[in-house]
Amino acid sequence: MNNNRAHPNKAQLVYAHVLHWASTLGIVFVVLGFTIYVFELLPLSVSIDDIAKNWHLSAAELNRQYHLPTGWAWVADILKGDILSFASIVYLSAATIFCLVAVAGVFLKEKNVIYTIIAILQILVLVFAASGIVGSGH
Amino acid sequence: MPIFSVFFVFLPQIVFAAEALPSEGTAWWVWVILLFVFSFFLGIVAVVAGVGGGVLYVPIVSSLFPFHLDFVRGAGLMVALAGALSAGSPLLKKGLANLKLALSMALIGSVSSIFGALAGLALPSHIVQLALGFTIVFIAFIMLRARKSEFPEVSTPDKLSQILHIQGIYYEESLKKEVDWKIHRTPVGLLLFVVIGFMAGMFGLGAGWANVPVFNLVLGTPLKVSVATSVFVLSINDTAAAWVYLHKGAVLPLIAVPSIAGMMLGTKIGARLLTKVKTKSVRVIVITLLLLAGARAILKGFGI
Repeated sequence: MNNNRAHPNKAQLVYAHVLHWASTLGIVFVVLGFTIYVFELLPLSVSIDDIAKNWHLSAAELNRQYHLPTGWAWVADILKGDILSFASIVYLSAATIFCLVAVAGVFLKEKNVIYTIIAILQILVLVFAASGIVGSGH
Repeated sequence: MPIFSVFFVFLPQIVFAAEALPSEGTAWWVWVILLFVFSFFLGIVAVVAGVGGGVLYVPIVSSLFPFHLDFVRGAGLMVALAGALSAGSPLLKKGLANLKLALSMALIGSVSSIFGALAGLALPSHIVQLALGFTIVFIAFIMLRARKSEFPEVSTPDKLSQILHIQGIYYEESLKKEVDWKIHRTPVGLLLFVVIGFMAGMFGLGAGWANVPVFNLVLGTPLKVSVATSVFVLSINDTAAAWVYLHKGAVLPLIAVPSIAGMMLGTKIGARLLTKVKTKSVRVIVITLLLLAGARAILKGFGI
């Protein structure tokens, strides 16, 4: 940065730092998970051929056909290759929540009431979406 | 750049072809490799044309590949999310993306993107296809017509933006000086982000095409700040919608991962090519592609 006045504030830098590590780790997980999946290094819950034969079906139809778990039910099968690959994508979707938790802490320390509230509300919205209350089921 | 040229020459014809490529008898790994290669080229085109990858990915992949629209939208959201996550950190560190501006707009946008995702997965496919088609055509017109303002004039910041302390300073390389900025019309901007969030969630498009004009032309943030903050807002709004797609089983790793990997690699190469290709002509081709893909989605929606 060429000048101090234009230097981003502490909250912004903390968010950037957490985001950097969370997203880098996310990409590594996604690549590893996919490698384990396609090379079938772990058993699969549904074979790749079966998925490929039916990927023209809607998500609801495919889930019904193979009794695939929705919501968080997949966690029970985490040691299956396809589920592990799915879990790596789930991690990528959680990266923003980690950043928001970190930045909410900074705002709280700075006694920045408005942005502490906004950050906490944002975390609640994302945790609500992540909980599966609105998304799971057919 | 012979490969690049071939891609541009043949793609419009493929996009407008009557049917998706035949899937019968083709090994799954052929599709995965094709998807990776295709996403790689889309990544290059997206950067060179200055559009988000998601907006090109969903209409074109749903036209060409044998996947159901649910999985294409799920993968499209993950593509946009992965891109936004990896680009977000440097933009924040440079002070181009603004955390307070992004958090204020993303809060309301992320709620509506959840509703958009739910609506998209609940509605019949042909209705979503039809709405997607009209939206893509609309986006192409926005890209064609929208003005841009490097440094919009904001004489008086509105009350809400003052309460939220939304203002900033960034170092403008081209001017070799700091640029102070503030915003106005914050309530209008918030309202527009409700609509944008809903559409992004419903179609899995990403929303840079709408975020940037709202930041730049409505709120009055400088263009560079608008682009950078848009990426950051995308990472929050797409996260909210992505969870809905994940819980509904609409994200297949077999489709999402090659798309993410191809697109990310393509955008890196695209960034290097940026100075070597004529971005204006690429932009015209992309708008044409969007119009064709939009028209094709509309036809599919009508069952034609």
